[in-house]
Amino acid sequence: MFSNSNILGPLFWIIMGVLYMVFITGLVVWLKDLNIKMNWWKWSLVLLWFILLSIIIAGGFTLIGENEMRAGLLFIAVPGAVMIVAGVALSRFLFRNRHEKQNN
Amino acid sequence: MNKIDRRKFIKSAGLAGGALSLAGAAGAGYSAGADKDSYTGYGRTNYGEDQFFNRKPFIVDNPTYVKKGEPVRITAVEDIFKRNGMLSRLMFSRGDIEPAWKPADGIDALPGQLRDYYKANPGALEEFIKAMEKGRAQRANWEKYRDKYFIADAWSTAHSSPIRGRGAFPAEPRDRPEKSDFRGVNKVKLEPKSPSHASELIKKICYSFGASLAGIAKVKKEWVYQGSLRGVGREDYEVPSHWKYAIVIAVPHEWDSMYANPTYGTSYDAYSKLRFIAGKMEVFVKELGYSSRPHVPPTSYDLVMPPLAIDAGLGEQGRNGILITPELGANTRLAAVTTDMPLEPDKPIDIGVSRFCEKCKICAEECPGGAIDFSDKAETVVRGYKRWKIDQNKCFTIWNSVATSHARGCRVCLSVCPYSRKNNWVHSFAREVDPRDPTGLVASGLLAMQKKFFNYPGGQEYLPPPDGNNRTFGEAPEWMKTDEWFKI
Repeated sequence: MFSNSNILGPLFWIIMGVLYMVFITGLVVWLKDLNIKMNWWKWSLVLLWFILLSIIIAGGFTLIGENEMRAGLLFIAVPGAVMIVAGVALSRFLFRNRHEKQNN
Repeated sequence: MNKIDRRKFIKSAGLAGGALSLAGAAGAGYSAGADKDSYTGYGRTNYGEDQFFNRKPFIVDNPTYVKKGEPVRITAVEDIFKRNGMLSRLMFSRGDIEPAWKPADGIDALPGQLRDYYKANPGALEEFIKAMEKGRAQRANWEKYRDKYFIADAWSTAHSSPIRGRGAFPAEPRDRPEKSDFRGVNKVKLEPKSPSHASELIKKICYSFGASLAGIAKVKKEWVYQGSLRGVGREDYEVPSHWKYAIVIAVPHEWDSMYANPTYGTSYDAYSKLRFIAGKMEVFVKELGYSSRPHVPPTSYDLVMPPLAIDAGLGEQGRNGILITPELGANTRLAAVTTDMPLEPDKPIDIGVSRFCEKCKICAEECPGGAIDFSDKAETVVRGYKRWKIDQNKCFTIWNSVATSHARGCRVCLSVCPYSRKNNWVHSFAREVDPRDPTGLVASGLLAMQKKFFNYPGGQEYLPPPDGNNRTFGEAPEWMKTDEWFKI
């Protein structure tokens, strides 16, 4: 990455780390405001989903970077569709628990 | 009010952070794919510390080739280049010498070895004659394609320059091995601390000379040619007793040109590298006080390379008949140096290439000449070993057909092989996981993705019109496109 610079590479990954922390901090506040109670395995599921999504996007763009446009787009589209379905199912599960708690 | 604003801000920033981190993942991925440091086979140093696959978990006691019957040494007539050379010398006049044989004379009029070969291989002679016709058409049509492939052709010719003629390096042996392999050997000889030390040193020197991979094998009699010995000529011979070990060296083709086969790549770039490495290794070993003899491409071999490389633990043989290594895939070219230096041989590996090839068949589907076996299992017995059959004669016809200035080969089976992929995280992940999966499910999944996601135009498309469309497997790099640099 950034083959002409040995400064930008480390900076990029520092910024990526900050972005992930900002994202997780924001997510914590979102979930609190939505009244969704989280425990360790729910957090694990949410983070696993996000990591897998990141890997699929990175993998697809790796293939695009190799000049394999079709392979890259399909790599994103096919597992990406699965991830969207999984994401909807996960959010419905988290929201359902919230309703159950509210009804109780 | 302030509290609400802060929460909103954190939530908005979190949303933006999530989106930006996904964008960052996309950017990092793109960079990994485009990075020239990920060209397979090239580490960041001459010593390749960052490129090696960890072979230890896959070391096996017995090589992955399967013995069936009594091993037989390969004869000169079974080697396509030697056979075609013998036949060409009979068919084509040189100076005042009239052709000694023409197709109308029939197979029975051929001299012994050739007659026996063509009788035992029906259709092979017709295929050779077809290859000659294709070669004539190729040369006649070259002007049509010359400008497009001008740089590629010049590049290949430059790479071929150390190979031919009086200036070839390393020089061809001119005596029996008992003389030529000892010529120039240093009278001062130091004993290595152990064979293991010697092997380690030799490999380090190979890397310093530019080898991507190096391994040590014991020379087995069945891998040595019979009936033709460089420096001697056509005669049967016993394997010289000082050919104890072989230092086997591998390099890949330049990535972009390999991927843009068959018209933008030739074999000469890897061949010339191997010749320099093996030639220098010959000198190095002799300077240490031991005999040595280089065996280098394109045809200066006294040993068959792929099984020797399997013994040296570099990889396994694929359906396409080529050595497949974990680092380079089928983009692997081989040379060797035989020596009597006491070395410790490496052990062979099993990373499941045969099992993968049984399912894959992409090389057979994409071969423009239909030269690669479609059988599920490698059942053809060749000189005492089971393998997938390669029809060398059909392969040679394609050599003579593709749009190059003269017969410069094809190599589509190298480019399309799923093992020939870049050295980046996506493909490295596949390389690491697949051989560790005993169920074969990973291989099936990867293969399904390979076939559905990647573009495979089909064998015919690589041929020039009217048979095909001069397609290349990958896109040619901009530095090989003539119209980027010249007025055409």
